[in-house]
Amino acid sequence: MTDPRTQLLDLVTDPDSAYDKSAQDLAPLRLQAADELFQVRREQIPLLARRAEEAGIDSIESFGDLVPLLFAHTVYKSYPQSFYDHGRWDRMLQWLNTLSVEDVTDVDVTGVTNVDEWLERLWEAGHAVIATSGSSGKCSFLNHTMGDRARKTRHFKYSSGWPFAQADGNHAYFWLGPSAGRTSAVEAFAANAENWGRPGEVFALSDEPLLISEISELAAFRTRMANGTATPDEISDVERRGRAKAERMQVDLAKLTEQILEYRDRPIFLSGMWSQHLMIIERARELGAGDGEFHPQTVIGAGGGVKGVALPPDYREQVDRFYGDVVRPAVYGMTELAQPLPRCEAGRYHAAPGLVMLPLDESGERLLTAADATDGLVVARFGFLDLAYEGRWGGLITGDRVTVDFSDRCPCGRSGPTLLDDIGRFAQPGQDDHIGCAGTIDAYIRGAVEA
Amino acid sequence: MTTTHESTAVQVPHIVKGERLTGTDREFGRPGARFTTPALDLNALVWPRNQPGPAFDVPVAEIIDLLVDVGDWLARDPKGLLEEALVAARRTSPLPAEVVDRSYEHLPKVFRRETMEFQIRAELGGPDVLDGWREIIDAPTGRVHRIRAFPPRLVHVIAGNSPGVAAVSIVRGALIKGLNLIKLPSNDLFTAPAILQAIADVAPGHPVTRSFSAAYWRGGDERVEGTLFRPQFFDKLVAWGGGETIVSAKKYVGPGFELVAFDPKTSISLVGREAFESDATLEAVADLAAADATLVEQQACASSRFQFVEGSIDDVDRYCALLQQRMRTERPTTSVSGRPLPAELREEIEGLRGMEDFYRVWGDYAGSGVVVRSDDPVDFHPDFRTVNVIPVADLSEGVAFANVATQTVGVYPSGRKAALRDSLAAMGVQRVVKLGSAGGVETGLPHDGFMPLARFVRWVNDEG
Repeated sequence: MTDPRTQLLDLVTDPDSAYDKSAQDLAPLRLQAADELFQVRREQIPLLARRAEEAGIDSIESFGDLVPLLFAHTVYKSYPQSFYDHGRWDRMLQWLNTLSVEDVTDVDVTGVTNVDEWLERLWEAGHAVIATSGSSGKCSFLNHTMGDRARKTRHFKYSSGWPFAQADGNHAYFWLGPSAGRTSAVEAFAANAENWGRPGEVFALSDEPLLISEISELAAFRTRMANGTATPDEISDVERRGRAKAERMQVDLAKLTEQILEYRDRPIFLSGMWSQHLMIIERARELGAGDGEFHPQTVIGAGGGVKGVALPPDYREQVDRFYGDVVRPAVYGMTELAQPLPRCEAGRYHAAPGLVMLPLDESGERLLTAADATDGLVVARFGFLDLAYEGRWGGLITGDRVTVDFSDRCPCGRSGPTLLDDIGRFAQPGQDDHIGCAGTIDAYIRGAVEA
Repeated sequence: MTTTHESTAVQVPHIVKGERLTGTDREFGRPGARFTTPALDLNALVWPRNQPGPAFDVPVAEIIDLLVDVGDWLARDPKGLLEEALVAARRTSPLPAEVVDRSYEHLPKVFRRETMEFQIRAELGGPDVLDGWREIIDAPTGRVHRIRAFPPRLVHVIAGNSPGVAAVSIVRGALIKGLNLIKLPSNDLFTAPAILQAIADVAPGHPVTRSFSAAYWRGGDERVEGTLFRPQFFDKLVAWGGGETIVSAKKYVGPGFELVAFDPKTSISLVGREAFESDATLEAVADLAAADATLVEQQACASSRFQFVEGSIDDVDRYCALLQQRMRTERPTTSVSGRPLPAELREEIEGLRGMEDFYRVWGDYAGSGVVVRSDDPVDFHPDFRTVNVIPVADLSEGVAFANVATQTVGVYPSGRKAALRDSLAAMGVQRVVKLGSAGGVETGLPHDGFMPLARFVRWVNDEG
């Protein structure tokens, strides 16, 4: 008999059954798995031990016991900025170690000159650390293991097309991003390409690796803007490079569009941001392509890229019309999540058995249950324990606002609870047309690195 | 406050040239803080360019007398109008009710005769240049010139984080005899109308009464701002704060329509090693620093957010603990308990909690005060009574952190100000004070780097 955690995680290999399990039925096994995982991790992750001690939690008796043990997503960018700025990669390892299961302090960082090299040394030593850039420009670093990557790839295999299609390794795969880099988007590309792509027919927008140092160079430039040390030449150079990069992306995308169109009578898998799809459509029109010309087994993924981009109000309809009757799966995921939630026919997101959803009140302090819901629905801050991780603690509080439907039955006929398709952020309350004299340097910076 | 109360929208009066308008034609605000206003008659909000403003030739002494009476009136509140405004403000202001109350108690002080006379002396060199033409007899050409600080036509987009802003704006606008349209902020909808009503009540039909209007429209409303913000109606836009206000103001600024900006600001404190001379000193210093940090619930530009402290980690940690304790103190513009931190800020602080090799956090998220000690300044904006304390070997490390967005720097001991002020000024700082005095703004001194009265007026020459 395998342990409860493995049992839960393995269920996804039969997704139709896995995504139809009721939370009630899964609860005992999930609690047992959560407790076993907690007992192991508290010995390995000092921050978890500290949280448990503060909250007086010794074992996981109920899901509520997990709440004080969830980490804020900001913990993964909590290193002192000077370590990073001054290239103290050894101290960065010490910091990362406080959030990691395996000891990373013995990774050899001699001669490392930038963050990308630091990340590569970690990867060479078997620590699959991925980076994300936050709104402040400060990057988060999340450790996971090669085993975690494999579990994630397996989860994607059975979930990324569910319930409409299953990865068959027989699609031409088009990805509207870079094919290399240590980010979760590139990781997702790699997983999807492995699951869906036909060998030799995997195409990315760019094969230039996405460099984290470029992101931090911009952040450092922003600091120089703030403290007044940036020179006019430097500012115009950054703006010129920004424009050039955007132009290069457009050219690459136009070229890739030609290739996509050549494949349109065969099943392809194509995923990118809404704005990129609109650019594809524009180019395709120039090339004479009409609506609905794609193979019915084609899979189109669209998302993100809505913030700060001027999209026409009917962008969804435009995309729907252009690709026509193809497979349009969607998942709710994030860098921190190894087991994203696929969206069913009824437009609801379902959690895999190995993902313990922990809907919280807005402050993130209290677990919400069916008793908090009106007509089964409740608005919650999304928290979770992702049981898949070996490399770090999988418990997290996000800043996402979700609507949870606690009913036993999803409108699609499968078991609940589910998340509605209205995921957003918690807005700052009551800031409507407030004017105050307090503010930050952000208001003084414009151009390429505007906040 | 009852639920019934909450569910009805509060009525915001408009004051148009001394006349109080009420109505529920338009509704704004978020649930729980809805408010209604009368319809906007844009024609009534402007003064024709081809006629001088009613107060242009009123002697400034008469205006000061009037404003002193207004101060008395506000202190007595004979018709209960200020109380009425206060009741409404308690409901819509984001500040704790007790802070709104105490800020209102402070309003009459803005109308003190000595303060107003000092403003005119310090900023304009005396009332002569407002009342008539000041002779300039020492020009190198030998010609004799005359100049006048001529009354301007101003539209004010005022900040609402403290009721004092409305009072200060009205006093400034009245002293220079200008025409003034005040755009009300949604976080202070009632103070300006109440003061303008006081003026109308003290001096019905007086030229000053007829020189002011206050109305609400949504900031950035193109129909209103696109129509009004033109040199045909106004000379200058006096805009407080940053973000949306300035962004939309930029669209309208052009020849003949100037922007006078009270920019958005951050303030900091520099605490020297002298603070650790004794336990009593440390406690007193922590109290001063707490006063600066919690000023107007830390919603003001002068509120301290980052504090650089000379000392070892252990010393600085003692300071942090005391600072957090002293933040829970009632002060003129500070409540004891504050308001719960918004989610995003909590998330930022939560990410540092427990990382004790690198950070230490004092306090919880209920609102009375949080102190975060870190080696480097944190990458988020400390707000809602959150202070980031950074241990430094020398206060010059704190100087390097200052920039053009830094307004006030509180220094302990005050004897070290002299050694720091030039380098701070070079970084962009506008105001250096002794620790604990961030809130003690002396009206009449430069504000945000300029003399407001001198910037507001139109300087006109009669050249000999």
